Amino acid sequence: MGDENTVLGALHARHLLRRTGFGARKSEVEAFAPLTRGAAADRLTNFKPAKFRPAGRDIWRRRVSWLKYMVRTRVPLQEKLVLFWHDHFATGYDKVQNHQWMADQNRLLRLHCKGNFKDFVKAINLDPAMMEYLDTFRNFKEQPNENYARELMELFTLGVTDLAGQPNYDQQDIVQISRAFSGWGWDWSRNRVRFNDWAHDYMSEYGAERGPKVIFRNRGGFGPAGRDFTQPGGEGPQEISQVVDILFEHRDSDGKSTVARFITKKLLEYFGHPLPPYPDNATIIDRVILRSGFDVTWDLRRLVREILVDDFFYETASAPPFASSTPKSVVWPVDFVVSTLRLLRVNPRSDKWGNWYIEGGQYGNVPGYLADMGQILFEPPSVFGWDWEEGWINSATLLARYAFARDVAMARGTKAYHLRPQVLMNLGLTAPGDIVDAVTEVVGIRDYLTANERQALMDYLGGPLDLNDPDVRYRKLHGLFALVLQMPQFHLH
Amino acid sequence: MSLSRRDFLIRSGLLAGGLMANGLWARPLVRKAFADIGDRFLVSLFLDGGNDGLNTVVPIANGSFATFRASYELLRRTGPGGLRLEPSVLSPYAIDNDPPTNTPLALHPGLEGLHRLYQLGKVAIIQGCGYPEYNLSHAVSRSIWETASRAAMGPGWVGRYLASRYGASQIPGLSVGYWMAGEFRQQVTSVLTASRLSELQFPLDDWYPDDNSAKLSAFQAVYASAQASSQPLLRYVGNSGQATLTATQAYPTLDNLYQTDRPSWLQQYNNLDTGTARRLREIAKVIYGVVQGVPNITARHFALSNGGYDTHANQGTVGPNQIHYRLHREVGDALEVFYHDLDDMGVADKVLVMIWSEFSRRPQQNDNGTDHGSQGPVFLVGGKINGGVYGNHPNISDSRVLNPGATWDGNTIYSQDNSDPHRSTDFRDVYGAVLKHWLAIPESEILSSLLQLDTGDPTQYWTSPQFDFVHPVNSQPLFLP
Repeated sequence: MGDENTVLGALHARHLLRRTGFGARKSEVEAFAPLTRGAAADRLTNFKPAKFRPAGRDIWRRRVSWLKYMVRTRVPLQEKLVLFWHDHFATGYDKVQNHQWMADQNRLLRLHCKGNFKDFVKAINLDPAMMEYLDTFRNFKEQPNENYARELMELFTLGVTDLAGQPNYDQQDIVQISRAFSGWGWDWSRNRVRFNDWAHDYMSEYGAERGPKVIFRNRGGFGPAGRDFTQPGGEGPQEISQVVDILFEHRDSDGKSTVARFITKKLLEYFGHPLPPYPDNATIIDRVILRSGFDVTWDLRRLVREILVDDFFYETASAPPFASSTPKSVVWPVDFVVSTLRLLRVNPRSDKWGNWYIEGGQYGNVPGYLADMGQILFEPPSVFGWDWEEGWINSATLLARYAFARDVAMARGTKAYHLRPQVLMNLGLTAPGDIVDAVTEVVGIRDYLTANERQALMDYLGGPLDLNDPDVRYRKLHGLFALVLQMPQFHLH
Repeated sequence: MSLSRRDFLIRSGLLAGGLMANGLWARPLVRKAFADIGDRFLVSLFLDGGNDGLNTVVPIANGSFATFRASYELLRRTGPGGLRLEPSVLSPYAIDNDPPTNTPLALHPGLEGLHRLYQLGKVAIIQGCGYPEYNLSHAVSRSIWETASRAAMGPGWVGRYLASRYGASQIPGLSVGYWMAGEFRQQVTSVLTASRLSELQFPLDDWYPDDNSAKLSAFQAVYASAQASSQPLLRYVGNSGQATLTATQAYPTLDNLYQTDRPSWLQQYNNLDTGTARRLREIAKVIYGVVQGVPNITARHFALSNGGYDTHANQGTVGPNQIHYRLHREVGDALEVFYHDLDDMGVADKVLVMIWSEFSRRPQQNDNGTDHGSQGPVFLVGGKINGGVYGNHPNISDSRVLNPGATWDGNTIYSQDNSDPHRSTDFRDVYGAVLKHWLAIPESEILSSLLQLDTGDPTQYWTSPQFDFVHPVNSQPLFLP
C-alpha cells in the first residue's frame, strides 16, 4: 500500500509513463524513478493545453495529422486524455460529414481535457460536430429529437443506473431535456451555431400539452417536485446550461454525486483496469473523489492526479509471476502504434496524396493498420465509443497488430525512415541473452518476461551474433524486434 | 455431450426397443444419428440498422379477426414517398396467414429468393419478436439482442454457450467481418474474425523466408507461455494469438479446396456480387472444409451482418433502385444460393440460419421512410425447419399505433399477456428454442446459465419461457426431428 509520498522506483515509473503516455524510454524511466507518486503525477498533469487542431483538407489528412502530433508531442498525457474524451464524447465523421467540425471538436477536447468538467459538458452541448452527430440540429418543437438528451445522460454524465444498479432517470426526463435542446441550428452565413426562436419548444406554447419543464421528479434525489430547468435563466441558451447544472447535482441512491462517480469510474478504468463489482468499486471511486474534491470542484486535473497516486492505478504494473487475481489491461491500437513508432524512432513517410506509410510495408497508410486493428480515429463504431479490453482482441485485429510489428521492424526504408537499431542499443553485444535484454529494454517489457520467454527469444537468435554484419542484423535483430513487438506482454499494460 | 446425445436418441426413438444390441454400429441410420448431434452448424445473420418488419411480413388483406390491411393502408401511404406495397405486387409472395387473426400475409417482393425457400418449407417466420420497454437506441437494442440481457452487458448469448462447451485451444466459430459479432463475445474459447479467409495470413518476413520457421517457433513458444499464465487477460491474448496462428495455417487452404471442388457454386455467389453473398460464400467454404474433414477446420458457429436498414429516408417500395428492396434482394438471393449449396453438399439438414435485427420500425411512415420501432420478425432457415408462420403479427390496428399522440410514440404494443391475441414473442424464447432443440442443451442449463429470466409483471416481462414452438397448422414442432 502506498500514497502520494511513495517513491516510484523503476517498475512503477515505467508503468506510470506507459499509461500516461506512449511507451517509455529508459532515460525517462530513470528520471522518474526517484520521484514520489505525487511529485510525478504533478509533473505529468501540470501542462498548459495546446491549441493544436488536426490539419488537412480532408478527414484522412486530419487523421494523419493527429497521429503525427501524438508521435511527436512532448505532452503525451494530453493526447491520452484527448483520446479518452474522443471515446467518451464519441462523434463519428461518417455521420457528421464535415472534417472542419471534427477538427474543431478535437481542439475543444484538448482545451478542456483536464479542465473543469462542467464547463466541458456545456461546451460539448454547443459543439457543431456533436450537434450534428446526435441531432441537436434536427430537434424542432414540432418534431422533437431525443437523441442528444438521451446520450447526455446515459453516456456523458450519469449512466443508465447508479453504481448500486438503481435507475438514474426515466424516459420522461429524456423527453423533457430534449425540449430544452430544441431550436438550435447552424448559421452558414456566419459559420456558427444559432438559436432559432421559431423552432424552440417554449413553455408558453406547449405548457399545457407537454407540462412544465421539469426533470428528475422520480430520480436524482430532488423529490417529487423535481427540478424546473427554465429557472432562473429563462428559456433558450441559458436553459441548456441550467440542465447541465441540474445534472451535476444528481445523486446516487446512496447520496453520492452521480456525475463524479460516473466520470471517476471511467477514468480509473481507462488508466487502470476494470473495477470490481459494487460495492467494492464504490470504495475505490469514493476515496479518489474524496481526495480530489472532484464532486465539488469538477477539476479534472486534480482528479487525474489523484488517480495517478492511487494504489488501484499501480495494480496492473506488477511483473511475473502473476496471480490469477493480478489485473491487466489491453493496450489500445492507437497506443500500440504510436508507442512503437516513438520507442523505435521510426518515421513513417508522407507523400503528396496525404498518405503516411511504413516504407516497404503491407499497408499504404498507418491509419490502414489501425482500421484493421479496430480503431479509426474520428470514426468510433457508435455513440458508445470503442469496446475496450478484450473487445480489442480477435484474430483480425491481432493479425493487423502482427503485421504492423513486422513492417516496422523489417521494412527496408531509406535515410531516417526505417528502424535503425544502432540508435537504440549497442551493436557491440554478441551474447543472445544480452541482445534479448537490450531489445526488450528498448520496448519496455524486459521486466514482464519470464525466464522461459527470455529463453525462447535467445533460442530464436541461436548462438552469438555479430550485429555489425548487416545481413545478420537484418535477419536476426530486426526479426527479434518484430517478435518482441508481437509478444502478448507488449499489448498489455 | 453424452447427455445430449442420449436426449437425441430418445427423442428420435432409437433407444427404444433394445436397439443397443450387437451390430448396432453396422446400421447406417444409427451411426448417422450418433454423428448428428454436435454435428450441427449455426449461422447468425444480423440486419444492421433496424429492419422494417411491417414491410417485410406484410398484410395483403384483412383477416377474419382483424383489419390489419386497412390499418396498413392508413399507416403506409401511396404516392411520392409512399411505402405501401400493393396486393398485386405482394400476392406472388404470399405465405401462411397470421395465426390468431387469419390475416393473409406476404413477404416483401425483394425477398423472392427467401420466398422460394419458404415454398420448399425451409423457412420459419416468427412474428413480433422483442422485449418490453423497447430501447430505441441502435447500440443499446443491439446489445440487448446480442447479450440476451436487458442490461445490455456481458458476453454474447452464443458466446456463453461456446464458453460452456469449448476450450481455449479450440476454434468453434468464425465471425465474418471486421468485428467480432457481439453474440459471440466471450473470453474462454477462440472465435476467429475475418472478412475473407484469404486474409488470415500470418505476417512473415519476405526478405528472409529461411528464417520463418525459427520466427514461428519462437512466436509459438512465447504464446504458449502466455497460454499457461494464471493471469486471465494474458492467457486470453495467448489463446487468441495461438488460435490465430493455427487458423492462418489451415483456413486459407479452404479457398483452393472450394474453388477446385465447387466452382459452379463459387460462381453463383460471385455472380450476386453482394457483401452478404461474399460473406455466406466464406461460411460455405468453412462448412465444406468441416464436411470434408480438413484438419484443424472446426468452426461450426458463424456470424455475419448486412447493414443499411436504418431507412429513415427514401426507404422505397419495389424496384432495383429502392433501398429496402435492394437490401431484401441481397439477403434473400444470397440465402437461396447458400441453402442450395449446402443441400448439394448434403448438409442442409445440419445448418440453421437465424436472421434478426435490433428493432423493427415505426408502423406510421414519415415523409418517405420510417423511424425506430419495436418488435419485429425473426427468420429461421434450414433443412430441419418446419416452415411456416409462427407467433402473432403485431397489432397495428391499436388506436395508439394509428393515432400516435403525446403519450405514445406510435410503436406497436409489446405484451407477454397470454390472453392477448396479439401476444408478442420474447426474443429469448427464440434463442432458447435454438439452444434447446438445435444445440440440444437441457432447458435447465439454458435457464440457469445461458438465458436470464426477468422478474416482474408476467404480462410484460419474460417470466415463463416458451421454447417449444409448435406449427399453428400442422402442429409439428418448429425443429423437425
